[in-house]
Amino acid sequence: MASNKKVLLKVIILGDSSVGKTSLMNQYVNRKFSNQYKATIGADFLTKEVTIDDRTVTMQIWDTAGQERFQSLGVAFYRGADCCVLVFDVTAPNTFKSLDSWRDEFLIQAAPREPDNFPFVLLGNKVDLEPRAISAKRAQQWCQAKNNMPYFETSAKEGLNVEQAFLAIAKNALAQQNQSVDLYNEFPDQIKLTNTQKSNGGGDSCAC
Amino acid sequence: MEDEFDDYQDVFSQDGVLLRQAPSAYIQYINTIGTLYIWETLENEACHSKKRLLEWKPNDVTVDSDVQDQEWAVVNTVQKRVRTLSGNLPPDYYARLKNLKINFEDIKSFRIANKSRQLTFFDGTSDSICSLLFQHGNCEVLVSILRSFLKFGPSRRDKHLFVIYDADSPEYQELNKTFAALDFKNENSLWTLFKNIKEHPYEGSLEAFSKVTNYVYRSVDANEAEFLQQDDLNRSLSEIDDSSTVHSGGDYELVQKLPQLPKRKDFPRCRPLTEEQWREQFNYEGRLEDVESIKTLIFRGGVTPSIRKEVWKFLLDYHPWNSTSAERQKCNSTKSEEYYLMKLQWKSFTKTQEDNFSDFAQRKSLIDKDVNRTDRNLDFYAGDNNFNLTTLNDILMTYVMYNFDLGYVQGMSDLLSPLLMLLEHESDTFWCFVGFMNKLISNFDIDQAGMKEQLANLYTLLAFIDPFLANYLETHECANMFFCFRWLLVWFKRELKQDDVMRFWEVLWTGYPCQNFHLLVGVAILEQERGALMENNYGFTEILKHINELNGKLDMSLMLNKAEGIFYQLKESDHLTDNIRFILGLPLLSQQTSANHSISPDSSANHSQPRCSVDHVRISPESDEAVYDRSITTNFL
Repeated sequence: MASNKKVLLKVIILGDSSVGKTSLMNQYVNRKFSNQYKATIGADFLTKEVTIDDRTVTMQIWDTAGQERFQSLGVAFYRGADCCVLVFDVTAPNTFKSLDSWRDEFLIQAAPREPDNFPFVLLGNKVDLEPRAISAKRAQQWCQAKNNMPYFETSAKEGLNVEQAFLAIAKNALAQQNQSVDLYNEFPDQIKLTNTQKSNGGGDSCAC
Repeated sequence: MEDEFDDYQDVFSQDGVLLRQAPSAYIQYINTIGTLYIWETLENEACHSKKRLLEWKPNDVTVDSDVQDQEWAVVNTVQKRVRTLSGNLPPDYYARLKNLKINFEDIKSFRIANKSRQLTFFDGTSDSICSLLFQHGNCEVLVSILRSFLKFGPSRRDKHLFVIYDADSPEYQELNKTFAALDFKNENSLWTLFKNIKEHPYEGSLEAFSKVTNYVYRSVDANEAEFLQQDDLNRSLSEIDDSSTVHSGGDYELVQKLPQLPKRKDFPRCRPLTEEQWREQFNYEGRLEDVESIKTLIFRGGVTPSIRKEVWKFLLDYHPWNSTSAERQKCNSTKSEEYYLMKLQWKSFTKTQEDNFSDFAQRKSLIDKDVNRTDRNLDFYAGDNNFNLTTLNDILMTYVMYNFDLGYVQGMSDLLSPLLMLLEHESDTFWCFVGFMNKLISNFDIDQAGMKEQLANLYTLLAFIDPFLANYLETHECANMFFCFRWLLVWFKRELKQDDVMRFWEVLWTGYPCQNFHLLVGVAILEQERGALMENNYGFTEILKHINELNGKLDMSLMLNKAEGIFYQLKESDHLTDNIRFILGLPLLSQQTSANHSISPDSSANHSQPRCSVDHVRISPESDEAVYDRSITTNFL
C-alpha cells in the first residue's frame, strides 16, 4: 500500500545485453559514463532522490543481466516494481525485436494487478552512434500499440535526454502509485497477521 | 459458499500445494496440485470456541464452483475423537469425496521438511494424515497462521517436528498460565507474545524467551513422552547437552535445541607451493610422483606465480597428473592442432553463411560485446585495438564451436580472462578454459537449474552451520539466496582483486578438502557479515546491496581459513545429515545401511558437480529420519 510519508519508487530497467542499461542508470544517478562497465551479473540497483511536484521521492533503479537465460531470476527482483523501463539500442535491430518478450516476461513475473495499466517507458539508447537501424517513427508506432507508452531517445554516453527520460519515468511511477492503492494482488486480508515486510510485495517468496 | 460452509469463513488460502501423501481414499489425487484453505466458524455465541479445519482442493475443482464442492467430508483418522462437521457419513462416502479435510482437533503434530516446502500432518498414530508440498513459496505463512490457533512447540527428538498441545492437557493450561505470569504487555495469548517479540526483534526476544525456554522444554518433553511412547528415546534425550536456542525475528518463533558443532579450528593459509617443491616431485620421465601432496600444498597456500603457468595446466586437466614430459609435449601439439581446426571452422564462415545462421550470429555478437567490456581496467586488456581482446574473442568463439549446445553465456569471459592473462598462449588457454568450464558448466544451464541448485545448497549449508542467520534470511524473504548469485556464477571473480582471484581459483581447483568447497567460502562470508545484516534488520534489497558492495573488500585468505574450519566442523560433527554429506561429497550414512538408496555413490564421488535436480539433492525426510535413527542407535543405545 502506498505510504503517506516516504515515497519509494522501484524502477526496473530491462532490455537485451549491451543496450546500455547500466550506463543509463549510472549516467542518471552519478552523471558519469564509462566504457569499462562490465556485463551485469545478477542484479544491482542505485538510488536517487528527486523532487516531483514538491514531493521528494526516492527512486530505486534496478539494473539486471541482459542475457535471456538469466531472466528466470527476475521474479526476485521485479517484485513491487512501480515502473518498468525497456531499453533498446537504436543501432541494433535485434534489441528492438526483443522488446515484446521483455515486456511480456516482466508482466508475467512481476504480476501487477492491472497489467494493461502498468507504466512502461521505452528508451532508444545510443543515438550518438551511426548507422541507425530503428527510426524514431518505428519506435513510436510500437509505443502507440502498447497503450501509448512514453518514448525517449537517449544517449547514456553523452547524457542526452537521460534526465528528462527518468523524470518521466518517476512521474509515471508516482502517478500509478497514487492512482491505485496497490499495484499487486495481495493475499486475503487475514494474511496480514504475519505483518508482511514489503508493502506491496504480493506473490511468492521464492522463484525456484 | 457450499452449504456445509455456511457457518464458515476462510481465513487463509494458498495455491500450488501438491498432495504428496494422503489416505487411500485420495490416492487418485496423489501428486496433484491444489489449493489449501483454512476455514473457521463464524462468530457464534452458542459456541465458546471456534471450529477450524484445513481443506485441500485439487485444482480441477474450481474454487468458485458451488456445485462440485458438495461432496466433502472431514477426515477422521482418530477414532476416539469423532467430531465431524456434517454428522455421520454414509459408508461409501470416502469413495466420492474430492476435497481432503482435516479438523484442527485431529492434528497431533506436524513436521516441516524440505526447507519449509513440505508439511506433513500426523494424527498421533504412526501414520501421517497427509503430506503437502508447497510449490509456490513455502509453508511458513500457513504455520504462522496455525500458530495463532493452536499451541505447539518443537519436538526435542526432531526439531522439524512440532507437537500440538491438547487444549485439555495440563501442559496447555500451564503454558497459558506461564505466559500470563510473565506479563507481556498484559497479553496472555501466545500469538500476541510472538507478535510483540517480532516487533522488537533480537535482543528483546532473546531476553524474553530466556524466561520461558526451560518451561517450554519440560512441557514438550512431557507431551512427547506420551506421543512417542513406542520410541525408547528418553535415555538419548538426556544425553544431549543443555544448549538451547531461541530463533526470532520472523513470523513465528522457534524455541529449539540446537545440536552443537565441534569447536572451529583455525587454518591459516600456508606459503605457496614453491618452484623447488614442484620440481623435486618429477621423476626421470617427468612424471609427478606424489600428486596428493602437491595438491595439498596448493590447497593450503596456492602456487608461486613463477610456476603457475605450468601448474595450472594440471589443475585444469589439460595435462594429466600422471603424464610424462614426453606425453605432455605430444598433448600440446595435438591439442594445438585440434584447436586451430575448430578455430578455422568459424573463421571460414562466409557472410551469407552467417546471415543464414542466426544462432551463430547472435553468439558472435554477444561475445563481441562482452569481450569489449571484460577487465578493461587491467593493463593487459586496456586500450583500443588491444590484441589480447582479439585472442579473448577467438577463444570464446572457438569454444562455441567446441560446445555449440552451450555456446556463450555471460560470465564465461570473466572465467577466461585470468587464464589468458597468465598463460598468454592461445591454444593452451583454450584447453585450460575447457577444463575450467567442465568444473562449473552447470552454472550456465539454460534453465539455470545448476545455479538454483547451488543457491539452495548454500542455504542448506548455512542453515546447518548458522541456523540463526538462515532463519533470519528465511523470515526476510531472502532464503532464495539470490544475492549470492554473482559469487557463485563466476567463483567470486567479481568480488576479488585479480591476484586474489588467481590464488582463490587454484585453491578451489584442487578439489580439496571436499566438493563444493566454494559454498563453504560463501557461508564463511555470510557468517562474517551476519552482524551487519541482522543488526540493521536488512531485507532482501539491503542485503543485496550490502553483498554487492563487499566487492574488493574481502580478505580471501581469511575466508579460506574459515571455510576450511567450517569443513572440519561439519566433518567431525556427529549429527551431520545426508543432504549435507551429499553436497560435500562425503560418504552417505544411509548408504552404509541400505543398499538401494536413491542416490548413487558415483554421482557424489564424481569429479565434476553433481548434475542432479534440486529436489534430488534435498533429500527426502524419510532418509533424514533414517539417518537420525541410526545416529541415535550408534551414539546412545
